[in-house]
Amino acid sequence: MHDRLRNNLREERARRNLTQADLATLVGVSRKTINTVENSVFIPSTVLALQLARALKTTVESLFQLPE
Amino acid sequence: MQSRSPVEIADQFSRKRVTLVAVATFVFLGVQLIAGPFWGARRGTPYISQIGWVINAFVLLLMLAIGSGLLRNRRIRSLVDDEVSRHNREMGIIAGYWVAMAIAMGLYVMTAFRTFTAREALYLVVTPSVGVALLTFCYLEWRAHRDA
Repeated sequence: MHDRLRNNLREERARRNLTQADLATLVGVSRKTINTVENSVFIPSTVLALQLARALKTTVESLFQLPE
Repeated sequence: MQSRSPVEIADQFSRKRVTLVAVATFVFLGVQLIAGPFWGARRGTPYISQIGWVINAFVLLLMLAIGSGLLRNRRIRSLVDDEVSRHNREMGIIAGYWVAMAIAMGLYVMTAFRTFTAREALYLVVTPSVGVALLTFCYLEWRAHRDA
């Protein structure tokens, strides 16, 4: 678990009624990538973070935050 | 019957890959423990068994290196080898590298007490480092799939 980066990916995905597979298809990555990012096991690259934000129609800052 | 999406196919392939690579690695390590060419060679193990170790280690490294490179479908291939898999593969290679370095340095120290042939030393460096590299990759992939 990374404590250097928090994310709201699971909440944002659920708000749009998307499954991990749905979001994976939208972004063009595997389901395990979505899963590892949601569980804070993996810190995504800038490109992937931007793709996730675009797919969820939000901003990177609203998906990922540095802890105070 | 509804056809499966590329994400589902890639997911299934990726899970199978973890099992396949883990089993192949355990078999490789198990065979070395039971009848390895290093120890076996001293008992007069046939030449083919000693060559078998090189082929086995090479195939395992190839599995780690190319990942899903043999899949025909480009889309599925890119899904199976996406960012997380590439990261997990790199972590496996790094773990294997450090094990190889540690054993090589250990052998260097050990040569003060006994001699090793080049074949023995190479065998002792390569076997555990290949095993650790692949098992690290498998563990990280398994963890990535867990709860997905």
